[in-house]
Amino acid sequence: MMHQKNFAAEASQGDPDAYLRLEGVSKTYGDFEAVRSLDLAIGKGELVALLGPSGCGKTTTLRMIAGLVPTSGGRITVGETDLTAVPPHGRDMGLVFQSYALFPHMTVARNVAFGLEMRSIPRGEIDRRVKEALAMVQLDKLAERRPRELSGGQQQRVALARALVVKPSILLLDEPLSNLDAKLRDEMRTQIRDIQQQVGITTVFVTHDQVEALSMCDRIVVMRNGRVEQIGTPVDVYERPATPFVASFVGRTIRLSGTANGDGAIDIGGDVIRSAAGLAPGPAEIMVRPHRIEVDWTGQAKTKDDVNRLSGVLCRITFVGDVIQYHVGIGDAEVIAEASTTGNQQLPAAGTPVTLSWRVEDTMAFGSGQ
Amino acid sequence: MEMHRTSLPMGILVTLLFLFLLAPVLLVFPISFSGDQILAFPPSSWSLRWYSALASNTVMISAFSTSFVLAAIVTALSLLIAVPAAYAIVRLKTAGSEFLFNLFTAPLLLPTIVLGLAILIVFASIGLLATFHGLVIAHLVVTLPYALRVLAVSLGAANMACEEAASSLGAKPLTVFRRVTLPMMTPGIVAATALCFLVSFDEVVITLFLTGPRLTTLPVELFNHVERRADPLVASVSVLLIIVTLAVVLIVDRSMGLTKTFVEKK
Ligand SMILES: Nc1ncnc2c1ncn2[C@@H]1O[C@H](COP(=O)(O)OP(=O)(O)OP(=O)(O)O)[C@@H](O)[C@H]1O
Ligand SMILES: [Mg+2]
Repeated sequence: MMHQKNFAAEASQGDPDAYLRLEGVSKTYGDFEAVRSLDLAIGKGELVALLGPSGCGKTTTLRMIAGLVPTSGGRITVGETDLTAVPPHGRDMGLVFQSYALFPHMTVARNVAFGLEMRSIPRGEIDRRVKEALAMVQLDKLAERRPRELSGGQQQRVALARALVVKPSILLLDEPLSNLDAKLRDEMRTQIRDIQQQVGITTVFVTHDQVEALSMCDRIVVMRNGRVEQIGTPVDVYERPATPFVASFVGRTIRLSGTANGDGAIDIGGDVIRSAAGLAPGPAEIMVRPHRIEVDWTGQAKTKDDVNRLSGVLCRITFVGDVIQYHVGIGDAEVIAEASTTGNQQLPAAGTPVTLSWRVEDTMAFGSGQ
Repeated sequence: MEMHRTSLPMGILVTLLFLFLLAPVLLVFPISFSGDQILAFPPSSWSLRWYSALASNTVMISAFSTSFVLAAIVTALSLLIAVPAAYAIVRLKTAGSEFLFNLFTAPLLLPTIVLGLAILIVFASIGLLATFHGLVIAHLVVTLPYALRVLAVSLGAANMACEEAASSLGAKPLTVFRRVTLPMMTPGIVAATALCFLVSFDEVVITLFLTGPRLTTLPVELFNHVERRADPLVASVSVLLIIVTLAVVLIVDRSMGLTKTFVEKK
């Protein structure tokens, strides 16, 4: 609860540069709260991701910004303008849907021209800007095609061109890459980021893919059950997650429970783990990124002050090409540590006692209250 | 797409079935060129006399034009009512829209003869019998359910996100409807047009109750004619009916093709 208050204060007073602001925005369907008192301040030109599991309210939030869903409470402003009660056609926002939503009865060029026609721009200028926009997404050759004659990636780029050609104040993207195959998704990720920076447009990007959020965005808003869990840069969210939920949702983690003893250490089955978090005595949980863990079975690993050590038994080894995964049993729990493959490794057999070690600063610790 | 290859026996079977179903209809064509006084197959001589008889039969001609104008007006009115109604039901989901939809489409489930009797009773008491606008209203009762069904389905299949995209691009609600919703519904509108026209043009059961000596439709006149005499005139009228019907079916078929071009790849 304290958490929520802090964000509210931050959004309404701090950050004078904020361009798009959501203040206490909420949405209820009947007695179901899809979005609960959301506060968000996005700077001009920033690319911000709304990240969270399915059903956490990302799309609802985006649609409230676009005006397609009326808010149940709160305020939405862009610059000095209060848009809360403005209908979608008066909001000047570019929207890209997961389904692309291209007009099936119009050619690519007519699709892109639509928003310009709505703004009563002279024909000559429309033609010129449509050409520019299509060139920007490398589709100038396909201007006369119909949407159904395009591949998914091409449709996606038409949707992007259609949204950007009107030079909207905000660009809103709802999982624009989720219908593409992995390779194309990588390509489009870079392309969207490049175009966004080139145009310098304030962008909200909805995704449930943490890699997308981490690799493309300036800041990430992690959402869960209609609430904000954490707002921060990709590095913040990954390295300093505010809650166990964020830690496990963004990036992979191993997870062990133990008991905090009050002086900054956590007891896990006899081994003492230290962390930077000052936890009150009581049940606690630690999380570590699998690739930050070193596995030693020679018994010669040096003890160091800034390194946590935990002993276990190797259960099995999985070879995944780039990496090798060590499944290690620690008490009743099994955790996975990861190491790059080197080519000429001598691998230990299952049943070998091993020592896991990682730096204290890589230890994410949470008390039971979190 | 994989080509469907039908085996020879299957092909023959299907052809025979079609011939069986269509034989009565196909018979009408040779009979309409009969030179005989009475309806018989095969005709003993050939001529165009029954076509010229049709051309000079003012009752048939006026019944045809009544039917045609009636069908056209009924179709136009059906669309004018069903397009907004489908929009209200599918898109706006206004309160009670579900009830409205069921009410509108209920006549589809009633035996037509019962519907005809009911309309007869009501129209008799308010003086709408044997009037043109009475016929229009009665036919609307039959065509509206079809129009509404077809349009509701076609609107339901259209991606609503397209309309949202249009409005976020600055289009006001009416512009969105005109430039995006309506074009996306085109195949449905064409199909509904054809269906309404055919249903009205062919309608006999209800119309029989409502027509009189001064006002009659082609199917009803055909029915009356057969009751009075058995000459091959009915065959030439039937050919006329078939040609109009085929023209309309062709439009429907074209619109199905249109549907395929419009529907998005999933
Ligand atoms: N029209 C509606 N009526 C009732 N509940 C709704 C409606 N729209 C959304 N919801 C509910 O609101 C919650 C949030 O939905 P939303 O679409 O914003 O999720 P999301 O975060 O975008 O999820 P996903 O990643 O699956 O797209 C969900 O639990 C959903 O069931
Ligand atoms: Mg969503």
